[in-house]
Amino acid sequence: MSNNTRTVNLTVNGNATEIQVEDRTLLADALRDSLGLTGTHVGCDTSQCGCCTVHLDGTAVKSCSMLAVQADGSDITTIEGLAPADGELHAVQQAFSDCHGLQCGFCTPGMIMATVDLLRRHPSPSDEQIKAGLAGNICRCTGYVNIERAVKAAAQALEGAQ
Amino acid sequence: MNLMRHEDLRLITGNGKFTADWNLPEQLHAHMIRSDYAHATLDKLDVEAVRDAPGVVAVLTAEDVAAAGFGAIPSGPDIVGAGGVAQKKAPLPVLATDKVRFVGQPIAMVIAESAVQARDAAELVEIEYGELPAVTSAHDSRAPDAPQLHADIPENCSLTFESGDREAVEQAFANAARTSSLQIRSQRLSGAPMEPRACMAAFDEKRNVTVVYTPTQGVLGMKASLSAVTASEPESLEIVAHDVGGSFGLRGGCYPETALVVLASRRLGKPVKWVASRGELFMGEWHGRSLTLNGEIALDADNNITAMRWDDEIDLGAYNCYFGGFIGSNNLSVTMGGAYKVPALYMQSRLCFTNATPVSAYRGAGRPDIAFAIERLVDHAAAEHNLDPVALRRQNFVPADAFPYETANGTVYDCGDFHAVMDKALSLSKYDQFEARRKESEARGKLRGIGLGYYIEKSGAGGAPKDQVMCEFDGNGGLMLFAVTGPSGQGHETSFAQIMADGLGISPSGIGYRAGDPSQDIIGNGTGGSRSLYGAGSAFKNLVTRIIEVSQPIAAEQLGCPPEQVTFGDGTFSGGGQSIGLLDLARQVAPADGSPHPMNCEAHTVTGANYPNGCHVTELEIDPQTGVTEVLSYVSVDDLGNIVSPELVRGQVHGGVVQGLGQAFLEQIVYDENGQLLSGSFMDYAMPRAGMVAYFHSDSYAVPTGLNELGSKGVGESGCSGSLPSVSNAMMNALRVAGVGPIDMPYTPARVWQTLQQAG
Repeated sequence: MSNNTRTVNLTVNGNATEIQVEDRTLLADALRDSLGLTGTHVGCDTSQCGCCTVHLDGTAVKSCSMLAVQADGSDITTIEGLAPADGELHAVQQAFSDCHGLQCGFCTPGMIMATVDLLRRHPSPSDEQIKAGLAGNICRCTGYVNIERAVKAAAQALEGAQ
Repeated sequence: MNLMRHEDLRLITGNGKFTADWNLPEQLHAHMIRSDYAHATLDKLDVEAVRDAPGVVAVLTAEDVAAAGFGAIPSGPDIVGAGGVAQKKAPLPVLATDKVRFVGQPIAMVIAESAVQARDAAELVEIEYGELPAVTSAHDSRAPDAPQLHADIPENCSLTFESGDREAVEQAFANAARTSSLQIRSQRLSGAPMEPRACMAAFDEKRNVTVVYTPTQGVLGMKASLSAVTASEPESLEIVAHDVGGSFGLRGGCYPETALVVLASRRLGKPVKWVASRGELFMGEWHGRSLTLNGEIALDADNNITAMRWDDEIDLGAYNCYFGGFIGSNNLSVTMGGAYKVPALYMQSRLCFTNATPVSAYRGAGRPDIAFAIERLVDHAAAEHNLDPVALRRQNFVPADAFPYETANGTVYDCGDFHAVMDKALSLSKYDQFEARRKESEARGKLRGIGLGYYIEKSGAGGAPKDQVMCEFDGNGGLMLFAVTGPSGQGHETSFAQIMADGLGISPSGIGYRAGDPSQDIIGNGTGGSRSLYGAGSAFKNLVTRIIEVSQPIAAEQLGCPPEQVTFGDGTFSGGGQSIGLLDLARQVAPADGSPHPMNCEAHTVTGANYPNGCHVTELEIDPQTGVTEVLSYVSVDDLGNIVSPELVRGQVHGGVVQGLGQAFLEQIVYDENGQLLSGSFMDYAMPRAGMVAYFHSDSYAVPTGLNELGSKGVGESGCSGSLPSVSNAMMNALRVAGVGPIDMPYTPARVWQTLQQAG
């Protein structure tokens, strides 16, 4: 039973911050509980569902599958920090709404963060690449049909913006 | 910012408020101690070491529950069985007393200063179990020598139910030219909403009210169940549910944990918060389905269906909870003849206890199961007797000119056009050209199948006397709507705003919706039975008329003309040569002193069930080398009456269909012979993922109903009812070519591959 706490330094959504966590604290819980960033969701306990997906040093990771202490010194973006500015939305966020790619919204933060990463790697993804890119994110409400449409719409919007 | 739904902004930016997102000052954290055994006496429960553990503030056991005067979890309506025999019920206690009857059954609650302290402390509990043999299938639990779960309920039988005319059916079978029979299994599932269930209770001593944060399907339903269990006056409870991460029927009523946090908070004077792990949900959240339906069909010499007979086995789990009993009785009987004109119908069902998690309503609650079974049976009969499955249906559908149609067991289908719906689905799915596609797949070594399912289901009749809605105008051109029905993703805020906007000719952007607001004293149904849109929505349609009525004299005063001269159109009142917009009027007459706005009013509707129906066509391809099945095309044509938001309706259909595909291909709750849960996480319980359907076309054919003001039929659950039969019939179609089948769900690669091996 470990209750050692230690200091972890993170940059989260552009803000340098310092938290005190037990060694065993998951990054997902640290974001939610220590930093009050409850947009990142915990949906399972075996790293299957992807609701906890954030960007760590530019790459999508499931924040439940790493310890907060492992993120020491990292640059993290959560769903709360995705939009470019107040009153604006990231193209992926906009596309998810436009295409009705969310219903209850619980999987949505993780789904959006995974999609942003997918489009970074594959700006014009094929159906297979979308299927593979979202394989780590479970949605129970939408049946994925509109999520897949949203990914394609976002890809077009991002390409158009270049 | 232009967004499709009012709900979207907060949800896409991480600003939603789901129950676990709430944190209150001084909150304590709870963790559940649950049974490790499926069936055992609780011989010793020693929580001393738990109480002494670091950070622990309290441990609640069954004694605390009894001392607080709590009742058991609601066991659902009392259903009258065959021969007028009353149902024998075994309600689930909030915490186990002398016996545990399913793995995961709540035994105690640990409350500590942090969640990890509570979890660590729980491991110190000392429990001595007297292990008993367990029984995990309804089939086994009804055997004469099966272990008895409840001392006062012989043969583990809660109820034997029947409906229809047994003799007429027997006659029809005696005289039949041909018959077919089939056993259809709808396996045990976990509904698995993505939000792990959570609850928090905060006792407010000043107001003598306990505020309870919890997912719901409607505040009134949650309040009713929670006040019953906690033996509290409803006024002493305030339910808060902002965002709900899916429910599908599972979270309408309180659970043991909800009652326990109420107890804890009242006793300790601090907020007490509990958040489930996914593993706990697999054990401790109601399961779904778990039925075996034995169906028989009788045809005359001309292939008219003369009778259908059902002998069903229903697995309730270890206790009667909420809807379990209703599923295996009423919900199976109401539409047991499906979309066909069947002169004789009969069913009997046996509702059995097993050492498994209690079963309650999960999207459709028995209606997808019977729709699935009927359509499998019809296809099976067609295959056995070399009949064309489409022609057989066409010939036996209730014809379009026969509505309202009363079925042989007394259900009245008010309207429909089954032929037109099926024709549209066949056309869109290019059904008639399938054979060429099948040959093309065959050339590539694959088995291609096509199947259809025609479902009809009874949507929610609603338990409340009426669906009541209210509105409040503010001084800034805003309009707030109030009703009871609580959303969990369906888009209530958007649909209701749209109904008002369309009716009043104003923009929906300033219209908000609050479900179950404590400031409003209104009654109505929660979400359930797919009725929110046609129930509360119809009430909102009536509210449009009321607002115009109420506002007319007020507008007249502003316009300086007699009320009779005032007309309304396009969001504007006109009279005496002048005009004023509705919202401008609201701004003008808003009281400065905060008293109620003069244009505020209420409306209601009284409407019961209606009969959504549709035809779904699946085309799939099996790879015999791996047993993997790809769904190439899914076409749905649903008669949902008038549609308010096509986008939201399609979303509901997609979601329901893919939940059906999950059941068809992937999902199954598995217990071993000792009642240990083997499918306890998403590693073992396979969920649908992106890319499951290559092509999905969701369409509609509206036959508006006269049963509510919108003319709409319930869509929420219909996707499941269409997908189970169409996918299954397509599977059997493909396997039949290889000379094998039928097989049960889930059609996993392993099962399909093994089945194909038998073809040799």
